Amino acid sequence: MPRPHFAPTLSLMALLATASLAAQTETRAPAKADGPIAFTHARLLPGGAAAIADGVLVVHNGRIAAIGGADTPIPEGASVVDCRGKTITPGLIDASFRTAANVADANEQGSEITPQLRALDTLDPEDKLLLRARAAGVTAVHVMPGTRSVIGGLGCVVKTAGSEPRTMLLKEDATLHITLGAEPSMGNRAIRGGEVDSIYYRRPTTRMGVVWEVRRSFFDAKQALETVAGAPQPADPGTVVLQKVLQGQLTAVTTARSEQDLRTALRIADEFGYKTVLDEAQDAHLVLDELAAAKTTVLLGAPSASLVAGTGAQDGAEPRSATVAQLAARGIPFVITTGTNLQALDLVREAMFATRNGLSPAQALDAVTLEPAKLLGIADRTGSLQKGKDADFVVWSTDPLDPAAVAESVHIDGISVLAPR
Amino acid sequence: MNRCSAAALRGSLLLALASLAAATAAPGQTPAQDLLVRCQTMVIAPDTVLQGSALLVRQGKIAYVGDEIPAEAKAGAKLVDYGSAVLVPGFVLPPTTLGRERDLAEGALPFTPDLRAVEAFDPWQEELLRLPQHGVTSVLLSPSPRNLAGGLGALVKPGSETGGGRVVTPELQLALSLAQVARNPEREPTSLMGAIDALRTALQKAKSGLASGPDALILRGVLEGSRKVTVAADTYPELLGALDLAREFGFQPVLLGATEAHKLVPRLLEQKATLVLNPLRFDQPERQLQLPSLLAEAGVPFCFGGPAESLRLSAVLAVKHGLDRRTALTALTRTPAQTFDQAALVGSLRQGCGADFVVFGGDPLDLGSPHLATWIDGVCLLGTVPGNARKSKTEDAAAVAPAAGVR
Amino acid sequence: MIAMSLRNFLLGAAAVVAAAATGSAQDLLAVKGGKIVPIQGPVIDDGVLLIENGRITKIAKAGEVEIPWAAKVIDASGKWVLPTWVVAHSQGGQRGFNENMQNVPWLSVADAIDPSAIYFEDMLRAGVGTIHVLAGNQTLLGGFGMVVRPYGRTVEDMTVAGNTGIKMSLFAGGGGRLQQIRRLRRALTDAREVLADFERRKAEFDKEKAAGAIPADKTWTEEIDRTKKGVVDLIQKKTKGWLFVPSFAEVDEALRLAQELDLVCVLGNNIDESIAAIARLGKPVVLDENLEYFETNEETQKETKYCTAKLLADAGVPFVLTIGQAGPTSNAWWQLGTCVRNGVSREQALEALTLGPAKLLGLDAQIGSLTEGKLANLQILTGDPLQATSWVETVVLEGQITYERSKDARLQYLFGAAAEKAKATPAKDEPKPAPKAEETPAGDGNPTEAKPAEGTAGEGKPAETPKPAPQNGGTAAGEGR
Repeated sequence: MPRPHFAPTLSLMALLATASLAAQTETRAPAKADGPIAFTHARLLPGGAAAIADGVLVVHNGRIAAIGGADTPIPEGASVVDCRGKTITPGLIDASFRTAANVADANEQGSEITPQLRALDTLDPEDKLLLRARAAGVTAVHVMPGTRSVIGGLGCVVKTAGSEPRTMLLKEDATLHITLGAEPSMGNRAIRGGEVDSIYYRRPTTRMGVVWEVRRSFFDAKQALETVAGAPQPADPGTVVLQKVLQGQLTAVTTARSEQDLRTALRIADEFGYKTVLDEAQDAHLVLDELAAAKTTVLLGAPSASLVAGTGAQDGAEPRSATVAQLAARGIPFVITTGTNLQALDLVREAMFATRNGLSPAQALDAVTLEPAKLLGIADRTGSLQKGKDADFVVWSTDPLDPAAVAESVHIDGISVLAPR
Repeated sequence: MNRCSAAALRGSLLLALASLAAATAAPGQTPAQDLLVRCQTMVIAPDTVLQGSALLVRQGKIAYVGDEIPAEAKAGAKLVDYGSAVLVPGFVLPPTTLGRERDLAEGALPFTPDLRAVEAFDPWQEELLRLPQHGVTSVLLSPSPRNLAGGLGALVKPGSETGGGRVVTPELQLALSLAQVARNPEREPTSLMGAIDALRTALQKAKSGLASGPDALILRGVLEGSRKVTVAADTYPELLGALDLAREFGFQPVLLGATEAHKLVPRLLEQKATLVLNPLRFDQPERQLQLPSLLAEAGVPFCFGGPAESLRLSAVLAVKHGLDRRTALTALTRTPAQTFDQAALVGSLRQGCGADFVVFGGDPLDLGSPHLATWIDGVCLLGTVPGNARKSKTEDAAAVAPAAGVR
Repeated sequence: MIAMSLRNFLLGAAAVVAAAATGSAQDLLAVKGGKIVPIQGPVIDDGVLLIENGRITKIAKAGEVEIPWAAKVIDASGKWVLPTWVVAHSQGGQRGFNENMQNVPWLSVADAIDPSAIYFEDMLRAGVGTIHVLAGNQTLLGGFGMVVRPYGRTVEDMTVAGNTGIKMSLFAGGGGRLQQIRRLRRALTDAREVLADFERRKAEFDKEKAAGAIPADKTWTEEIDRTKKGVVDLIQKKTKGWLFVPSFAEVDEALRLAQELDLVCVLGNNIDESIAAIARLGKPVVLDENLEYFETNEETQKETKYCTAKLLADAGVPFVLTIGQAGPTSNAWWQLGTCVRNGVSREQALEALTLGPAKLLGLDAQIGSLTEGKLANLQILTGDPLQATSWVETVVLEGQITYERSKDARLQYLFGAAAEKAKATPAKDEPKPAPKAEETPAGDGNPTEAKPAEGTAGEGKPAETPKPAPQNGGTAAGEGR
């Protein structure tokens, strides 16, 4: 039975015993023979390269062994799957994904600034939303702590199938999640000289306060950096994480929905000299100049939705379907995600809506495959169909951006995690 | 079920008679005279079943078993003959608060490893005194899973109404918790992320030697392996968090609750985890009811958690869904004792253990078998002592009940 | 009150209002060059459709028919021509569609419809030509519905057919499902009593008249109380009932009611357990806008996705689709695509949004397909109506051009102004437009051709040429918009 092939650079993975990917859930088909498998006569959309009308994809040992036109040589003893009429794309990557655990367990309300907490601790491989996304072609997701804290903690990038979170990990502690807007201040009450009988009597209670919290945290971390340079590590793990961000070793992901919050996010990042990407960004169409100047990437959350998630409406964010096309037109790097919006559709349908609203099919597909892979720093392993990369791909019943398209089989590391119907 | 409750009723009604009849036993004190306990089927330990044998009880402990009983001891001992009944070691109730949530859950602070459950022990507590009715002869009184680190548990035994319970071992296991109840919206931590991080930070501090005080002492004991730890965890992420902590800090995990344990069997085996399962109920899904047999097949030790009245039912349901009877009985007796290093004192009837045993009219894993007697430390706390002049209904029942074998 | 009943009376004639010219008079229209999908009859690849006085006079292949010189010609080359969609059940476009009082059968949506509601504009943009508006689902007896066209300044202008039936609902509101059923039954029983009482009194009157106690020239003038008349007609099957059935639990009750009343059932989700019962209804059902739902197996905790359309199609039960008010279900292509995605045939899906609902509304002699003699209700799309990238270019209702995308002011504003902004003009405050913003065509920046294909990371990979033809009708195919 093929074992997942861990890249040698990820030493953490190397330390673990090889986990058995035996059929833990009913949706995983019994593992195919150890030999190579060739998917023939498929329309291939490799991502980052030209489409191949009548192509062959060969998968072996969890990796892509070969990809090319109809004349691609098929290895001896390979089992052949005829994919006439079907389209094969790389597995989709959702760069801002909300799990079912998100509200309660991924939002630590004990303190507003918890940079060291990790979304990885809440991950359940059989999470309902994860399984749904996987059945719809998503093979990797970036999961962050929730949006109820100002600085929620560390996000991680995982594949959507595996026996336990560690075996699914592509990148541990990949990003730091910051949230702006009114949402983190929800539930906090002002101390007005009355009885303080709960932990929620604290700052911030306004958007002003939220920004202040972010700036204060980074200010303190920066000071600690400057004054104890050369001294042993500070004991506070939260400060360590913030310092990593300041030193450019960790990227911040700032959830900002309204125009005001987007500008603020960029301004704070500029003030402290760290790198941030913008998550949700419904009002991106109003700050195109600033985005272009900042050379940052936009993680556009559920662009098909007409209602904004969280306190976005309160903050004044108004989504426009034209946003995605405008970002493309201005050359601002962006990816399409499902984000925190409860109205979000499956990622592939979000991409489909984007083509309706002006993106080319290739751009739309790239926005959910190769571009998020590059953003998350996993492009060496996944995100496009290239020889040597992990065999993460989806066989669709027809073009994936067709409303009638269905993911017929989804493969992660060459193993089918959704049996063909 | 009806016969069992009738038996229990009989038991409690006869309790008054018993305390009259067993006049030789002073309240709370072990009898001066040896006791020779005879019973058709005796389970010394789940893999040691003696037929037509006897036990010698001296000073409240098991002095000799079966053929080892010296003749002169036999002669001088008072005979207690249960006839064709079945005698098993008393059940050990795994970590529980015995219903005293308020006193065993420090509400102000989540992290209190140095608090001791034994401080809240009430020898006359009703729940404690009722334990013998359910065949429980010792219990691990433990701080509540409402706290991240609740404190230290203790091994205690119930007593009779005339003599209260007593503490056997005052400081045993450290009770940690990642369960839902430990996540409190009114105080830190409110999320699983926060709970795992808090425990990890505390253990790391202890490991690095930076921490001091009673907290640190206890945690260092955990790191060295001299202090047992239990972690309350139910769902997959909670269990995994507990297992990861156990691996990182080198302690052997004992997991309380473990509802989704079936998803983690390889890890449980690898880390030699023991589970204390939530009680089984009729209305649970099949998968839950088959969990004990799954664990037994895989070789993961487990026991059934409280409350006491559900112990026998859990075992019976587990057997109905594929668990073998021997493992079921082990789960009630030896496993909880061994898990907390108390196997020399409770959980079996080997030489040196306390004379804690329960007598049934038939197979204890058959709910229809009447519960005839419970003995703790050589004192009969429930039921009658046969061999008295006054004949009782219980004795008749013992005489006519078919001797059911315990495999 | 009286005015309302007069209006109801006027609308009560269920005859279809003949095409009232609301726009500029355009008696002769020709649509040429497009792919005609008539729904009834074969697809014509390069066809011509002639319209006169609001009706379709001729459909033929190009070249087979001469286009009158006086006709206004719409060039539909490269585009698709279909009948406009017919929505058989909708609550949109009303101000407050769920009454506080549950039992209000005498009300009519005519009083709630707001012709200026954005909903109608959106429906027209989506290619919908006929909408059956009814009260909401959280009602008991919600009142009369009517069929409207999404175009007109007043409700009278918009009316196609009035008094189409009473909305009923088995929705379990406060008090639960059984309470709802009980209240409904009580209302029907009350109506029976009222009717029986009325007829008894009439019989007495006739008897007395025959006996001479009442002068011969006196006639029976009493009428059934206006507030009760609706339900009385309902139990006499003189009026249709449109019954909302939320889930499988209410299907049995719906079957029982269908024995006594002339019912059309509107099904919600979660019906997989009761398909056989639904089949026993013996008539087409209307599907709520949400076609897909999940069910979790209690034992294994595994989720299964169901599609209501597919379940009914498999069971051979005819069904009719509807279009939602907001979100993805407010697009016809999404609804059709969902059906096809789940295995329903394209033809059945298309018919379920055109001829099927027309038949259900009793209007199939006039609308529902592109057939000679029927009203000229048609839409011209930039491509296959089941593709996400297809946009509605033109809508013709009863021979009048009522929508042209090139003149859609709102779309122009949403996309045009914003697209200009994209050309690096300095940011300035602009008034926020109306909330509904999902239907927007390709910006005139036409990003697919103008900019490097990736744009995102600018790594200079070989630019990908978008493939317009096979996948989509091609907004990128040089629409000029």
